[in-house]
Amino acid sequence: MTRGDKFLLAGLLLFSLLSAGALYGRWLLPQDQKKAMRAVVTVQGKVVRRIDLASGARSSFVVDGRVGSSTVEVDGARVRMLEAPCAGGICVKQSWIAHPGQSVVCIPGEILIRIEGAAPLDAVSR
Amino acid sequence: MKQRVILILGTLALLLTAGLASFRHFNADGEYSSDQFLMDTLVSIKVYGKNPDTLKAAVAKAYAEMRRIAELADSFPEPGTAAARSSDVCRINAQAGKGPVRVDGDILGMLVLAKKYCELSDGAFDVTVGPLMDLWGFGGKNPHLPPADRIASTLARVDSKDLVLNQQEGTVFLRRAGMKLDLGAVAKGYATEKALQVLKNHGIEKALIDAGGNIRVLGRNTHDAPWRIGIKDPRKSDAIVAVLQMEDASAVTSADYYRGFEAGGKRYHHILDPRTGYPAGQNMSVTVVTRDAGLADILSTVFFVLPPEKAMAMAGKMTGVELVLVTADRRILHTPSLRGTVQVQPESGYRYDQGR
Repeated sequence: MTRGDKFLLAGLLLFSLLSAGALYGRWLLPQDQKKAMRAVVTVQGKVVRRIDLASGARSSFVVDGRVGSSTVEVDGARVRMLEAPCAGGICVKQSWIAHPGQSVVCIPGEILIRIEGAAPLDAVSR
Repeated sequence: MKQRVILILGTLALLLTAGLASFRHFNADGEYSSDQFLMDTLVSIKVYGKNPDTLKAAVAKAYAEMRRIAELADSFPEPGTAAARSSDVCRINAQAGKGPVRVDGDILGMLVLAKKYCELSDGAFDVTVGPLMDLWGFGGKNPHLPPADRIASTLARVDSKDLVLNQQEGTVFLRRAGMKLDLGAVAKGYATEKALQVLKNHGIEKALIDAGGNIRVLGRNTHDAPWRIGIKDPRKSDAIVAVLQMEDASAVTSADYYRGFEAGGKRYHHILDPRTGYPAGQNMSVTVVTRDAGLADILSTVFFVLPPEKAMAMAGKMTGVELVLVTADRRILHTPSLRGTVQVQPESGYRYDQGR
């Protein structure tokens, strides 16, 4: 076996190991990274806005829900419902969310703010 | 010669691994997810499979099934709406003390199950709790603490012994005037289970339904591992007390942190003990893990109202029913067979003695 053969063999083995890593390790699966840090706002199931949470910018905007206008505030990587027209205000009390899988839900207004990306849990029972 | 054999074997190993990896990549199931506001909550459905059209059609049918059950079971529709006309529960309530009402098989099914667990729990759970829920105002916008004498007099109209179910005729009768059904602890779980059956009938093998925190999973998750379902910390927002690993099962939680109000420095929540007329006070949160989401919904309320030790004993006698409790005195308890599938978060600050 020449020196070249040995390098080739070592290279092949390394490549195989990496492939095996890609095959069994979830950290290399592309679908987990694609949607990193973006929030989506829907009203009655329809997407009304996508927010880039990686840009670090501050902003706020108005969302017209089923019972009136709500204000959503974005501060860098976090987002919250700032104002809501309903009596309960559960969504406002919940305050900031910043992690994939988290959501703010306004049931009377049928508004949903959800942070996309790979969450550590599939769901939370509550 | 020997070197050549090694080289060939190495190449074969590489091709096999790369081939498997690309097969798995291109053969991976697609995901379809959707959110709808239903039954006063957000219902999210996620399904996996090869054919996007099938996934989409199945999810639409599943929502339609939930909506149908929601309309049949709605106790508080706005008068004059389609919901008011199609609600079996409203018709039963309107005929209380007058006569039996012919109802949909699903309403009868829910009531048969509810009555069974009312009897098994000696009345700790009762779907005829409607008059009490109204008295406390939990169906409306302004819940409040009623006077004690009103609670006592209203209790007289809460008793499933006067809920007459006729399975041959398909009818339901509340024997006394002023009685009222409330399927708040039954309908969401039942509808979730029906929706899952719709998905299954469309050939779907991997799904997650999250109906406002009532969870039902089918198959394994997208990483081909058991679904990882958290249990919310009853006192800290965005924190969890435990993680469950689940396949083809449901997890439903009844807890004291919803729909509450404060009066005289005390907090009152909406899960009433039908025997006393006041909110049940010995548990903060009760999670039932069992296959059928309808049963899980009912049992989570039954076990929430019972004292922790009684709840554990009752769950221990049932097959395929698991229980995770966070008690009012800050203990975490779970049924012994959950050991290994439940991970209690040590930093949560509750007392936990390694699964009794």
